Amino acid sequence: MKNLNNEWVSKQKALREYISNYGMYREENEHSSCGVGLVVSIDAIPSRQVVEYGIAALKAVWHRGAVDADGKTGDGAGIHIQIPVPFFYDQIRRTGHEPKMNELIAVGMVFLPRTDFSAQETCRTIVESEILKMGYSIYGWRQVPVNVSCLGEKANSTRPEIEQILISNSKGADEETFERELYVIRRRIEKQTINTRDLYLASLSCRSIIYKGMMLAEQVAEFYPDLLDDRFQSTFVLYHQRYSTNTFPEWWLAQPFRMLAHNGEINTIKGNLNWMKSHEIRMAGASFGDFAEDIKPIVPSGSSDSAALDAVFEMMVRAGRNVPMAKTMMVPESWSKLTVEMPKKWQNMYAYCNSVMEPWDGPAALAMTDGRWVAAGLDRSGLRPMRYVVTADNLLIAGSEAGMVSVEEAKVIEKGALGPGQMIAVDLTRAILLHDKDLKDELSSSLPFGDWAKKITDLEKVKIGNEFEYFTGDELRRRQISAGYSNEDLEIILSPMAESGKEAIASMGDDTPSAVLSKQYRPLSHYFRQNFSQVTNPPIDSLRENRVMSLKTRFGNLKNVLDQDGSQTEILVLDSPFIGNAKFSKMVEIFGEDVTTIDCTFDLNFKEISLAKALERIKVDSEDAIRSGAGHIVLTDKMQNSDKVPIPMILATSAVHSWLTKRGLRTFCSINVQSAECIDPHYFAVLIGCGATTINPYLAQDSIADRIKRNLLTGTLTEHIKCYQEAIDQGLLKIMAKMGISVVSSYRGGLNFEAVGLSRSMVAEYFPGMQSRISGIGISGIQRQVLEIHKKGWDIKQDVLPIGGFYKSRKSGEKHAWEAKSMHMLQVACQKASFDIWKKYSKNVLSNSPIHLRDLLDIKSLRDPISVDEVESITAIRKRFVTPGMSLGALSPEAHKTLNIAMNRIGAKSDSGEGGEDPQHFYPDPNGDNPSAKIKQVASGRFGVTAEYLNQCEELEIKVAQGAKPGEGGQLPGMKVTELIARLRYSTKGVTLISPPPHHDIYSIEDLAQLIYDLKQVNPVCKVTVKLVAASGVGTIAAGVAKAKADIILISGHNGGTGASPATSIKYAGLPWEMGLTEAHQVLSMNNLRDRITLRTDGGLRTGRDIVIAAMMGAEEFGIGTAALIAMGCIMVRQCQSNTCPVGVCTQDENLREKFSGSADKVVNLITFYAQEVREILAGIGAYSLNEVVGRVDLLHQVSRGAAHLDDLDLNPMLIMVDGAKELKLDRLRSRTEVDETLDYQVIHDAERFFENGEKIQLSYSVRNTNRTIGARISSHVVKIFGMQNKLQPDQLTLMLTGSAGQSLGAFLVPGIKIQLNGEANDYVGKGLSGGLISVRPSIESTLIAQNNTIIGNTVLYGATSGKLFASGRAGERFAVRNSGANVVVEGCGTNGCEYMTGGVAVILGEIGANFGAGMTGGMAYLYDPDQVAERQVNSESVMVCNVSVDYWETQLKSLIIEHADETNSMKATNILENWDTEKFSFLQICPKEMLGHLPFPIYVDDAKARVKIN
Amino acid sequence: MSKEQMLKFTDIKLNQPEKRATTARSSDFKEIYLSDSLKKTRNQASRCSQCGVPYCQSHCPLHNNIPDWLMLTTHGRLKEAYDLSQQTNAFPEICGRICPQDRLCEGNCVIEQSGHGTVTIGSIEKYITDTAWNEGWINTISPIKECPEEVAIIGAGPGGLAAAATLRKNGIQVTIFDKYDRPGGLLTYGIPSFKLEKEIVQRRVQHLKESGVKFNMNCNVGCDIEFKDITEKYHATIIAIGVYKARSFENLAGERSNVVRALDYLTASNRKGFGDEVPEFDTGNLNAYGKKIVVIGGGDTAMDCVRTAIRQGASSVKCFYRRDKSNMPGSQREVQNAEEEGVKFVWLTSPKGFKSDDNLTKGIEVTKMRLGLVDNTGRQLSEEIDGTMYVEKADLFIKALGFDPEDIQNLWNCPEMEFTRWGTIKTNFRTHLTNIKNVYAIGDITRGASLVVWAIRDGQEAANQIVKNLHSKNDIAAE
Repeated sequence: MKNLNNEWVSKQKALREYISNYGMYREENEHSSCGVGLVVSIDAIPSRQVVEYGIAALKAVWHRGAVDADGKTGDGAGIHIQIPVPFFYDQIRRTGHEPKMNELIAVGMVFLPRTDFSAQETCRTIVESEILKMGYSIYGWRQVPVNVSCLGEKANSTRPEIEQILISNSKGADEETFERELYVIRRRIEKQTINTRDLYLASLSCRSIIYKGMMLAEQVAEFYPDLLDDRFQSTFVLYHQRYSTNTFPEWWLAQPFRMLAHNGEINTIKGNLNWMKSHEIRMAGASFGDFAEDIKPIVPSGSSDSAALDAVFEMMVRAGRNVPMAKTMMVPESWSKLTVEMPKKWQNMYAYCNSVMEPWDGPAALAMTDGRWVAAGLDRSGLRPMRYVVTADNLLIAGSEAGMVSVEEAKVIEKGALGPGQMIAVDLTRAILLHDKDLKDELSSSLPFGDWAKKITDLEKVKIGNEFEYFTGDELRRRQISAGYSNEDLEIILSPMAESGKEAIASMGDDTPSAVLSKQYRPLSHYFRQNFSQVTNPPIDSLRENRVMSLKTRFGNLKNVLDQDGSQTEILVLDSPFIGNAKFSKMVEIFGEDVTTIDCTFDLNFKEISLAKALERIKVDSEDAIRSGAGHIVLTDKMQNSDKVPIPMILATSAVHSWLTKRGLRTFCSINVQSAECIDPHYFAVLIGCGATTINPYLAQDSIADRIKRNLLTGTLTEHIKCYQEAIDQGLLKIMAKMGISVVSSYRGGLNFEAVGLSRSMVAEYFPGMQSRISGIGISGIQRQVLEIHKKGWDIKQDVLPIGGFYKSRKSGEKHAWEAKSMHMLQVACQKASFDIWKKYSKNVLSNSPIHLRDLLDIKSLRDPISVDEVESITAIRKRFVTPGMSLGALSPEAHKTLNIAMNRIGAKSDSGEGGEDPQHFYPDPNGDNPSAKIKQVASGRFGVTAEYLNQCEELEIKVAQGAKPGEGGQLPGMKVTELIARLRYSTKGVTLISPPPHHDIYSIEDLAQLIYDLKQVNPVCKVTVKLVAASGVGTIAAGVAKAKADIILISGHNGGTGASPATSIKYAGLPWEMGLTEAHQVLSMNNLRDRITLRTDGGLRTGRDIVIAAMMGAEEFGIGTAALIAMGCIMVRQCQSNTCPVGVCTQDENLREKFSGSADKVVNLITFYAQEVREILAGIGAYSLNEVVGRVDLLHQVSRGAAHLDDLDLNPMLIMVDGAKELKLDRLRSRTEVDETLDYQVIHDAERFFENGEKIQLSYSVRNTNRTIGARISSHVVKIFGMQNKLQPDQLTLMLTGSAGQSLGAFLVPGIKIQLNGEANDYVGKGLSGGLISVRPSIESTLIAQNNTIIGNTVLYGATSGKLFASGRAGERFAVRNSGANVVVEGCGTNGCEYMTGGVAVILGEIGANFGAGMTGGMAYLYDPDQVAERQVNSESVMVCNVSVDYWETQLKSLIIEHADETNSMKATNILENWDTEKFSFLQICPKEMLGHLPFPIYVDDAKARVKIN
Repeated sequence: MSKEQMLKFTDIKLNQPEKRATTARSSDFKEIYLSDSLKKTRNQASRCSQCGVPYCQSHCPLHNNIPDWLMLTTHGRLKEAYDLSQQTNAFPEICGRICPQDRLCEGNCVIEQSGHGTVTIGSIEKYITDTAWNEGWINTISPIKECPEEVAIIGAGPGGLAAAATLRKNGIQVTIFDKYDRPGGLLTYGIPSFKLEKEIVQRRVQHLKESGVKFNMNCNVGCDIEFKDITEKYHATIIAIGVYKARSFENLAGERSNVVRALDYLTASNRKGFGDEVPEFDTGNLNAYGKKIVVIGGGDTAMDCVRTAIRQGASSVKCFYRRDKSNMPGSQREVQNAEEEGVKFVWLTSPKGFKSDDNLTKGIEVTKMRLGLVDNTGRQLSEEIDGTMYVEKADLFIKALGFDPEDIQNLWNCPEMEFTRWGTIKTNFRTHLTNIKNVYAIGDITRGASLVVWAIRDGQEAANQIVKNLHSKNDIAAE
């Protein structure tokens, strides 16, 4: 083992600190995700068996973790068990003491500094003195034996000294008290060591102990030989395997934490932590008494989101709530929109929880224990799997995967999967197992929640008069102008919202300057970039999965979160933070004396006009108001006039919110904002993110009123405000959903933004916690702008508003990078193959005022200039270019093919985009051109992603996010779905297709690793690219992606194009690629991962200079999207969404496609010009090749610091060079990173005769959950040998499997292969199924009733295009999501079944979960529903429900059930078939409404017996 | 009010305003285009593609917000459309009539470029503003407050008038000096009525008068008043006198009195339209009635001449131009109108000399040309073809060869003023300031003969610059 010493550790730490302080990396962006589980004895008898199961389970989740570059350092793993008292008694005896058997013993697991002995001693002293101070006695310390040989070098070098301290309850306190005081002791110790992690207590308890560290999961017991000791017995074990983006081994971050182990993310962490700071102040649990101050701050700084969740959870439990109640309070299930399904008692309980605390929201599978309760639970969306079994010998085994613990099938009495928001728990004191319903019934009856819920005042039920306006005519216009409104804002943004309740849709990218570089007035909201989730947590579909989303806004005096009484519910609630004028005045009336209104303007006539002073005043005013008893604050800029200038309300709100938080007063009041500027959902989101409780957009409302007056809108103001609110609500939900946040109260105050171009010191003062890495405009600059715009409104006579130009170019408006002149020059250059004209074009682009951050940089020389001939050739440079993913569907077939041909001609690559590719492209054109894209995209819709498609490329790109709309899904409207597109996407002509926001097989980083694994299986040679969008934290994500064995990472800038997306998404989400790329390059370099992957970037690369700068920032390859479209004739009409592209580039309309004038030559010319210009620049700086300058940020320097009124604009964080990065050897042509072999390797060997001669073969294997992705590699071979449309028999190659199969069973399985599994399977069964057959049945020994038990996991048949699946048992969540052609029979499924389905037939012979058929636009589903309960679970927005009454459909249904019975021996199917004549009436048929016109037969006959129901 | 959708170019075909029948229109001086109906105007406006990069605006010298007022027009919001269009253009109804849209907005319209046929921007602009006049939406200019500063404008042409309008909006006092009897410059005397009826121009003049602009007509600077007296008296002066010196043939002998200058010819015709006494016309010297007419030149002035001649009752009208149709500077649309009305164009033909007797020129000697290499402006050079000379006989020869600036350095006695080598006044292209303090120059006198729309732009820009300068002076004074 290479010996990494202390020096390495301190150097690493220093490097991290340096990059974090000066570079683009921020420690807070680290993510982790994991495998998690528990084993518990229901009868509460400790046993060795339980511990051994735990150890075994850890050995079966290794694939959910990641290994560092050294091949041995894991991301951490651990195990949480009961204290084996006899073992420790023996230890005490060995030290010569006699254990006091009448006193409880407590054990602390302590990490001490290893090499610094004096520090070690200091730490020991701290621990001992705190224990003694509390009155307990100490037996002594025990050095925990460890076996370091299994550690990786990095883990070993950071390894702490691990010791246990043994404590006796000499005070004789009862167990609860002892445990609580141990908690206080631990908190006191932690407070003393607040700035160091050198002393860390993994556990300190009289009940349980945690063994954890930075090893691979399977080595926990090897590292800690204690665990192998027979005396180690326990009634429960919680275990955890971590997968982290962090590559610096931090021992303390290994899980489990003190009470819980968590798999997933907490998306709302920022908001939660901010609110905790406020809650903390008022927290005074009776339980802690005098210790209350000792436990604060609850969340130690530097905690990961899981650690923070654990800390708060622990505090809630220590304060007297039991484990299930603490979970219910912190991670509640969604309830407000499920009133039909949920018992009233539960609703009351949740209403109570909602009024006490903001949910900790995010994908979360939790395993929890306080030593008394052992529980597993899921979050409201249920995105993480949690499978469980209950055995005959009274064990509950639950975990991320089925089969992690091998249990004899015959002993299993129940198998299940937790649904969203559900829990399962064992109460060890009562020795009983409680299922979700029992638990919640018990919890909801335990306290008078009903009485408390009655105290909640629902403002929506208060009668409000008609909406009205405040200002009209000239006064209105002045205010509009001084609020920065333009004609464009009113016509393009506001008008559609008021008219139809929808946000405006736009297209192409954002080519305007960042707000900080603009010469125009830009509202403060423009400096805020929305955060979004990618890879480490999934965004939510706020439209199709609206049921989990909530804008419920509570306000009033928030009380002590530790109390459990009715005072906490004396609050007001609203359905949305949006408040119209009438509602606002009513609300203020209700507040009565309780409200204080604060004027947020400053007077021009005072000698010292100053924004900073005004902010000071409103801070003081609001504090005074609260101190004198106000419960509500109104911040308003309405009092502006010709002398009074409004403060930007974002600034005012955040100043007040952060000030009150700091003073501990925020929970005493609500902050209600009246803002003139606020017009679009983004502005609302920023205000709420800054802490606003409600918002009254009075001027937007007045503007709508004005339109009504001018007869531009029919109807009343009340109606249109309703529409406007609807649009804002939906927009807010979308912005929250992007982050994976579903509840507004957890979004509020979270500042889920990154500031681009705001002064760092201003952000630190007024927006604490938000990142602003490049600094920029400060208070004085903002003041200047505000004064200027105020003057325009109030001093000058204007008949009309400014025209605008922010969304669409206007001469007097915002600058756009693509102008008529530059586009024309580029087109002429490409058409005439004139490099001279290109140079003119390039010069023209350069002469623009700065638009991008890179425009402020200049390039330094490497050496003296050399001759251009000495630089590497054009041919070599051209190969680095890529045309990024633009789907056939967005582009016309002509444009799409032209790009492919052009890029193939020069050995570069084009990207197919989402939506498949015409199989005819897989053969060369008659003239020799290759029309097949070298990169095939795998996006969230998985349209046309078949085994064949996946094998026709050099590279597979997983599109995690898209620059123009990161965190959002897409939609191809029916009018664009032509015959061709429908064929390629396996759908129906004219029927809308939806791409979901997340990949439903990527909810976390280990899922991405799994998908990469799948893709590398199905294509044995291709590289895998992961496309990310620049955002703060993209570097850490890139590190995780690199560890997931991706080969290429694409960092897209926010300004990339799109065929259609909400206007505000194009404008306000994501960052410039400069920021994302430099961050990724820095973090990858820092972690020694940079040379493992190739970095690529795209988003507005317009000239050779842009390419060279991108290379210096770390990119090796470059995507050219918009410029390529322009070369083909695009002229930025920006109407892609309307299918009327006048030049035939972006339309499916046949007549318009005829106008297409692009050619491969033009595109080749374009790329050649880029390359030639790159050569010239390289020659100028004396570089011989691009490789020589890749990553050389030291060759860039900032030459402009932006406009004079900025505080500073400091790009240096982007220009930080990680030590050693200069010497990096990057090779973009190296072969791909290989992944482990699967069972298929064996199959290929065993089935030699099948592959050679096509002989029929049947093979048999036993499998475990570690056998993943079975069938993908053999499918690849079948495609190559026999083709995908082959003539093989369906079972020509049959695999008989027994056991628990790992994830992705039968992924991309093609015709000719059949997999029959006896046992059960995990998530992603039949992912991308391409014609093969999968059947799953319980093992022969199983005594279970198949239909009641879960047999296959979540997200089954995701993106399947054809084939069949039969499973005799229930499927998990998101069954058959985005299925577009497979036929399937299962016996029940979880929530969100058949979501986004576009083809195929699904038959479900058992109960379904909620939200069935959401966004389903094709295919057919049949539900067996004898009890008539299924219909209310169906989301009827896009589907209709009826009985099966037409013979054609009956035949379809029946024949599938017959096949199911044949394949699986299903009892249920057999029973139904035996009584078919009566049972057939128990079926419901679910048909997408859009399909009604496209069916071969009518869906129902007009017959009374058919009991037709149409929603 | 209905909400018609835009982007209708895929369904609705281009439909330019109807022209009157050639027989009817070639016998009077009324406008040749019939007014469109509201319905048709809205319909045609709805064809606009509402581009992200509006090429129409990029190629409009005034950067009119065309897509925006097209959208408003489609939705029937004509008042707002007018407000918007007058914001960038002092005289939209004039530009709507006389701009060569086929070379500017309409010619660069994206849907025209991609083969769908342009949006009828010009006629919609005209419709909007005509409606505004008819509906009484156009009120006299009333600034928030009147300022004491006074500005002199020399020249009552489009540039001067546009500058006057902008200055008045800002409350500044304006006096215009012009050597003619009627304001309007070329709008009044240069452009024939069938393109721009004189009531349209006079309505604007009247509007400006009512808005407080003082007109000092029949005042020839350098004769009736000294240039220095103006600049000394006023806070700022704008020179907007245009270019009036007609170009002539070099080394072409034999011109007699029936070889006339285009502007003389057009002015005479326009004056007759006003009912003035015009001796040269009455003597027949500038009247084409019953004569064979030859016009030399290929610009818009030549087009005006040939079509005026037709209307005066010429027995035949021929136009000679040395390049071909696609290389001529004039509007293609005008060529088409002229051809419809019976004008014969003789392309690639260049005059070499006149055949004259003592009193009259009888014929013009011409030679055929061919197009050669492209020069650096992108236009093909023309060269003579040997041995193709012939003589074209006619009764009246009109020279429409373009205009050069007059020698105002001497005429106005201002030796300190800087000029370009083409004789135009040298100005800063952004501020329009000349080298003399507080003296601005705009329009043709700075650009050489150009379009009305450029003059309007210059006028507005210079006026805004003056306002800015005066304001900044005031700000300094107040501090």
